[in-house]
Amino acid sequence: MSDWDTPVEETQVLAPKGEPLPVGENDSGLKWLSSRARRLTLSEGNLFLLLAIIIGMFSGMAVVCFRISIEWVRLGLLGSALAPSHLRVLLVPAAAGLVVAFLVQKFFRASRGSGVNQTKAAVYVFDGYVPFRTVIGKFLTCSLAIGSGQSLGPEDPSLQMGAGIASALGRRLKLSRDKLRLLAPVGAAAGLAAAFNAPISAVLFVIEEVIGTWSASALGAIVLAAVSAAVVMRSFLGGEPMFRVPAYTLAHPAELLAYAVLGVVSGVLSLAFTKIIAYFRPKLRALPEWTYYFQPAAAGLLIGLIGLQIPQTMGTGYPYIDQALHSQYTWEILAVLGFAKILTTSLSFVSGTPGGMFAPVLFIGAMIGGAIGGLEHHFFPQVSASVAPFALVGMGTFFAGFLRVPITSVFMVVETSGSYSIVLPVMISNTIAYLISREFQDVALFDLLAKQDGLELPSMEEQREQIVLRVEDAMRKPDLPPLQASDTLARALEIAESSTEELLLVRFPTGRWAGIARNDLPTMASAYPPETLLREALSTARLPILHPDQRLDDALRFIQGHPLLPVVGRAGSRKLEGVLSLPDILTAYQRAS
Amino acid sequence: MISEPQNIVSRYVQRRVLLFSLLLLALLFVITAALARTYHAREEGLVSEWFQKGNTDLADGKPGQAFEDFRNSLSYGPENTNVQLRLAEALLADGRLTEARSYLVNLWDRAPGSGEVNLDLAHVSMQTGDVDQTIRCFRGAILGSWEKEPALQRRKVRLELCEFLLAHRQNSEAEAEVAGLAADTPSENGVLREENGRLFLRVGEPGKALTEFEAALQINPRQSQWLADAGQVAFEDGDYLKAETYFSKADRESPSDEIHASLMLVRNVLGNDPFLAGLNDEEQARRSWRDFEQGLDRLRKCTGTRADNSSSGQSASDMQLLNKEAQDLQKRVKLGFLVKNPEMRNEAMQLVLRIEGATSQICGPATGMDEALTLIEKRHEGNNP
Repeated sequence: MSDWDTPVEETQVLAPKGEPLPVGENDSGLKWLSSRARRLTLSEGNLFLLLAIIIGMFSGMAVVCFRISIEWVRLGLLGSALAPSHLRVLLVPAAAGLVVAFLVQKFFRASRGSGVNQTKAAVYVFDGYVPFRTVIGKFLTCSLAIGSGQSLGPEDPSLQMGAGIASALGRRLKLSRDKLRLLAPVGAAAGLAAAFNAPISAVLFVIEEVIGTWSASALGAIVLAAVSAAVVMRSFLGGEPMFRVPAYTLAHPAELLAYAVLGVVSGVLSLAFTKIIAYFRPKLRALPEWTYYFQPAAAGLLIGLIGLQIPQTMGTGYPYIDQALHSQYTWEILAVLGFAKILTTSLSFVSGTPGGMFAPVLFIGAMIGGAIGGLEHHFFPQVSASVAPFALVGMGTFFAGFLRVPITSVFMVVETSGSYSIVLPVMISNTIAYLISREFQDVALFDLLAKQDGLELPSMEEQREQIVLRVEDAMRKPDLPPLQASDTLARALEIAESSTEELLLVRFPTGRWAGIARNDLPTMASAYPPETLLREALSTARLPILHPDQRLDDALRFIQGHPLLPVVGRAGSRKLEGVLSLPDILTAYQRAS
Repeated sequence: MISEPQNIVSRYVQRRVLLFSLLLLALLFVITAALARTYHAREEGLVSEWFQKGNTDLADGKPGQAFEDFRNSLSYGPENTNVQLRLAEALLADGRLTEARSYLVNLWDRAPGSGEVNLDLAHVSMQTGDVDQTIRCFRGAILGSWEKEPALQRRKVRLELCEFLLAHRQNSEAEAEVAGLAADTPSENGVLREENGRLFLRVGEPGKALTEFEAALQINPRQSQWLADAGQVAFEDGDYLKAETYFSKADRESPSDEIHASLMLVRNVLGNDPFLAGLNDEEQARRSWRDFEQGLDRLRKCTGTRADNSSSGQSASDMQLLNKEAQDLQKRVKLGFLVKNPEMRNEAMQLVLRIEGATSQICGPATGMDEALTLIEKRHEGNNP
């Protein structure tokens, strides 16, 4: 295990040469260090942001090299023509599959699969730890697999490579566990942004699928990393949108119906694709381990056989998406390409060949979309637009249905095509596909794969679906009106006799609230005369206030140490809407579960 | 909780790692830049290689293969508009209009002022039968930008547009285009002037055509073809004097049977037209007399042929009527009488012209002197000489 792979146990303190510093034994050395450190000091937050930029640049360059290496492998193994010779088509994916399987089984076991779940696992299971060996393994095996024609893409591996780079840097910097956990998604966003040339989609995907929340602490770093990665990638490989699309305008509102049909078909097909993978992957994983050496090769052979007739289904398929976007195929051919790609991608993925699902999903979506568009245009030329916008919308739609990331899918289409006018059909179609997929498949694909791998990763989709309990769901009416600051201690004693609350709430004219614990009343009565005004007796006391729309788990943090808290409206803190106690909160949670 | 000294050391380590990272970043940058440069060079090489192959295949009349080549080329240079354009042209040549149009529309979106793209779009629209769109695209190509030889390219497009308009019987539109063409033609280019003249002829503007031919002849007055063209235009315009001038020059420069025949015909017209301006009564009478004799001869020959061929009843009665009129007039017409009596000259010529008209219909097109008489008839048709 290299130094980059050392897991973080505790925050270690090292001297400049790597030896533990005898703290306190060498004052002059300490002073020297102190002066040096002070000069270079960055706050932790700024350091983290700087690190995000550095991670973005590293990831960007790694992805550039990765993409170039895939192309070199493809040129070397399959040649420069889009339709390679039959011999190469038949032999190369199978032979490369053997090598890839050997590398994975012998050296890079963590390189199997797409990389998204592995990154999630790093965040939730391994404290942000992604071995650097995985980065190297992913780079080598995916280059070979994708370059040789396996039906997989470079985006998800790029995501994992970014996370791996970030993790390695974080470990070298001896960052805390919390920061390391945060760093993996930062790297993931950077890797994905560079691979897709789409920083917004990358940020959204990481938020939607990996971390699941719009955490302010992570968002800034994720955005910075994604942007810097995209900038680096663009400076080396050009800044053009990933797909060149003809101009699109919505000719007639009825056209949206045609896109709705696309949403339905894509939803059903994405569901079928998920089911195929969910069914066959564990079956192949259950075979004896020695078969793992041959599964990618067998998949490669089958892909080669399909590729003899349909070479478009090999590799990432991006050039063919471009062709579909330029109406170069009839709807019948587009349909064949879409179904064939489902088959080849299933073969590649379930065989354990390292590589991503994004590119094939976009390919399938584009072809299915184009086919539906072509078919509709054939029968209803006055309603339906040409094939190209359907292919474009289809990409996002299938993405939404298959990966279940509806927001990312919308932005991805807009960002990768540079066409904003398409957003309306994309939203309609994606939503339909997403809803269909969710209706008939409880667990999203990545969660399903994680479960098959024995990992219980948090499902971001489930998290999004969870009912959020709010204060208003738990609060109750006070049994008596609150005391006023102008009331006397005698009045408080009188009220206490008729109230069942542990705490008597006192309202000040300024909107401040205080409380008198029932148990404290005898002590107060002995310390102050009965005519003492409460405002004098409680001159410094202050209770936190809650609002009805606040999340109940936020309320939990405030209620610590208080038997009861006032719930007031946001329009004016003098009006008591209700009261909340810890038992009220627990009751609400019990009710909800 | 980390103590202050530990914190200082930790920060120092962080700085060191950050510094090291920046150095590594710089190194990686250099490596990536070198890799990217090599990769781009290879890509450009492949773009060019496949592009050349595509051009060769397209030139060899293999648009399907050319399309594959251009597609390969485009996969390495997706933004290369030249390749996109050629790919669209290959698709167009292969009859795959929808696909070609899709590529071209995409190119047009990016460069609506591109002459080449507009021209190709015009070709697509032409093949899909969208006349209005074709004309729009042709005009876009004429007004658009051209990288190489813009004036020549625009002229070619305009010529193509003219042909298209003529084929769709939009002569007035075509005439406007030819007029535009003539206006943009450099005055020193005789070849183009002559081409303009031919176009004016086709749109039915012989006067303007003659102007163009004459402009061309000012540059090269001995160009026999241009002389013949000018003569022909003048001839068709009824300006036989000019026609005789140009035909005789053409005949001198480059004698040919065709030009000589035209020249003879013109000379026959000029030498036998009794209504030509400036002729005295005697000459008019002499010509009328000669024409009358020729007309009677034609009538006799034609009547003999008619008798052999047994024409239809209507033609026969016409000919009999004409024959009778001719015999009546022949009894009255004498050369001396014609000199003194312009009315009689007119009457004789009217009959001659009627004879030539009728015999042309029954006995076939007139030739030689008779053809000249027919032309004289056409020349003075509707006039009362």
